Amino acid sequence: MPNSRTLNQSLTNRRQFIWTAGFASLAGWAGGHALRVLAEPTVTLPFENGERPLVKYPQKRQLIRITTRPPQLETPFEVFNESLITPSDAFFVRYHLSESPPLEVDADTFRLEVKGKVNSRLVLSIADLKSKFEPVEVVAVNQCSGNSRGFFQPRVAGGQMGNGAMGNARWKGVRLKEILERASVATSARQVTFNGLDRPLVEKTPDYVKALEIDHALDGEVMLAYSMNGEDLPVLNGYPLRLVVPGYYGTYWVKHVNEISVIDEAFNGYWTNPAYRIPDNPCACVEPGLTPKKTVPINRLNVRSFITSLKDGDRVHSGQTTLVRGIAFDGGYGIREVLFTDDGGRFWREAELGEDLGKYSFRPWRVAFSPTQSGSFELKAKAMNRVGQSQPLEPLWNPAGYMRNVVETVRVVAV
Amino acid sequence: MSWKQSVLSPFREMKLPFNHFSRKIQAFVCLMATSTTVAWLAFAAPVKIELPRETETFKPGNGFEIANAHCLICHSADYVAIQPPLARAFWKNSVQKMQQKYGATIPEEQVEPLVGYLVKTYGTEKSEREKLTAGLTPRADIAAPSSTDPTDPAATAEGGKLAAKFGCAGCHSVDRKIVGPAFKDIAAKYRGHVDALEKVSHQIIQGGGGQWGTIPMPPFPRLSAAEVKALSDWVLGQK
Repeated sequence: MPNSRTLNQSLTNRRQFIWTAGFASLAGWAGGHALRVLAEPTVTLPFENGERPLVKYPQKRQLIRITTRPPQLETPFEVFNESLITPSDAFFVRYHLSESPPLEVDADTFRLEVKGKVNSRLVLSIADLKSKFEPVEVVAVNQCSGNSRGFFQPRVAGGQMGNGAMGNARWKGVRLKEILERASVATSARQVTFNGLDRPLVEKTPDYVKALEIDHALDGEVMLAYSMNGEDLPVLNGYPLRLVVPGYYGTYWVKHVNEISVIDEAFNGYWTNPAYRIPDNPCACVEPGLTPKKTVPINRLNVRSFITSLKDGDRVHSGQTTLVRGIAFDGGYGIREVLFTDDGGRFWREAELGEDLGKYSFRPWRVAFSPTQSGSFELKAKAMNRVGQSQPLEPLWNPAGYMRNVVETVRVVAV
Repeated sequence: MSWKQSVLSPFREMKLPFNHFSRKIQAFVCLMATSTTVAWLAFAAPVKIELPRETETFKPGNGFEIANAHCLICHSADYVAIQPPLARAFWKNSVQKMQQKYGATIPEEQVEPLVGYLVKTYGTEKSEREKLTAGLTPRADIAAPSSTDPTDPAATAEGGKLAAKFGCAGCHSVDRKIVGPAFKDIAAKYRGHVDALEKVSHQIIQGGGGQWGTIPMPPFPRLSAAEVKALSDWVLGQK
């Protein structure tokens, strides 16, 4: 399939933004008296129907708006080249229910309830969480299950995002384990469910509730975070309290979490079944167009790496050394190595790994690129984690558009 | 590993800010360690946010009143507009999912027209769109109904039926804000205004500018003059 491969390669072009610097002319209805024309900067993600407005939201810088209500905002990719920690005001946003985000949150009256199969039900304020439990910190990547969905071929329905529905933040809060131990979990406990302040408008719409296995909830790493990058969480990222599930996709990181229930059965709510499920096989993939026979809830992040310092079409100087920088991450085993190629994959060499902020963090890497002659160069990075998992050279496919982790390509020209 | 040395040597000379953020983070952690106690005791005022105005609207076409009346209750039009060209089977499935899983109250007889609108406007049957939008400009022939009597019981009954028929109740209730304002608040706003009927009619036909909040009222340009008048009378009669 030479054609589809070519198409696919052009669509996998990273650093996705073709800055149109254009303006979307939006004709408002404005009571019908006159057409209201709004000037709105846009970017075009490199896939069909990829034009998106750049919009400023409360506590956020201008982000790429995927949808308005409920809001889904994507981080412009160049942010990932600016710092290893994604600034909170650039961090992506994804909501599911129409009555979200909550437009007013009072952290003084906010209460977290811990109930269900526990021996003592708890009702905790944010002040309780900050003063009665040991504070812990973790640097962890939160990535949307459908990050990069717009690159799927054949295309699939859903939030049509480029590569910016991910971020790496320093989360601070309390261990879920400590809270559950304080509540004294009953021996019959099997799973723990999490619900937040966001809610549906229509009564029949399923509320956004997610569940973790009891052992996972008690692993000492799952956290209830009240701080992100040293400050309160932005409202759009879950103020005043959100679940942090290191190594797991963002769907589990319930925002504004105010209700924790220990249950003695397997939770089977809409957002776990049929939503957020992947094919039950090691690649979480099926032949394009097919429906998986058996599915499981999405879980750990797979291995990904990105070149962040160069984007498609950039020019470099031949006869000179250009430092190529990037990031790599996985579901919590940690990155062991990043390989780099500048000839489309014939020869790979090892990049140098940078600072290690922990096994759940972005890991920076860098490599010198010294083209000796002018012409086109195909740059790729491929990461491997400490248990030997890596990235496929050709994209994998599943009907929901989850877990893309193909080795990405950046084409540059040496002049 | 001579290649490694030669590869890595430029870094030092180039003085690239590879470790800058790490230093910042270290400094930041120290700072945070000393300030956490203070932060814990800090008083938190309620945090209020206001979201940007919703700007995306459904493209006009046969059946877009159905999309306006039902889809926009729970989500903005860009949930549809950003999709790649998808086939009729997908849109049918999607509409049924909204009915069955999300509780959208789309009447059965409106499902096929809605699916047709979606696939011809946003899906793989876009080539059909030109035919679909022919003659579909907002109507100008119903601009100014001349008189109104909100107390006319026949008009009131008719308006109530129309509100149900066109799905107004998805976003409006008589006495509380849902997505849009309560009907009685609309009535109160225009009470005593000579152009009340004209304004409300206009709002129904052309849609609103979001003057009640950040979510604009979608347009319903294909209602007949009599339907618009009956609806407007009914809304203005709410107390």
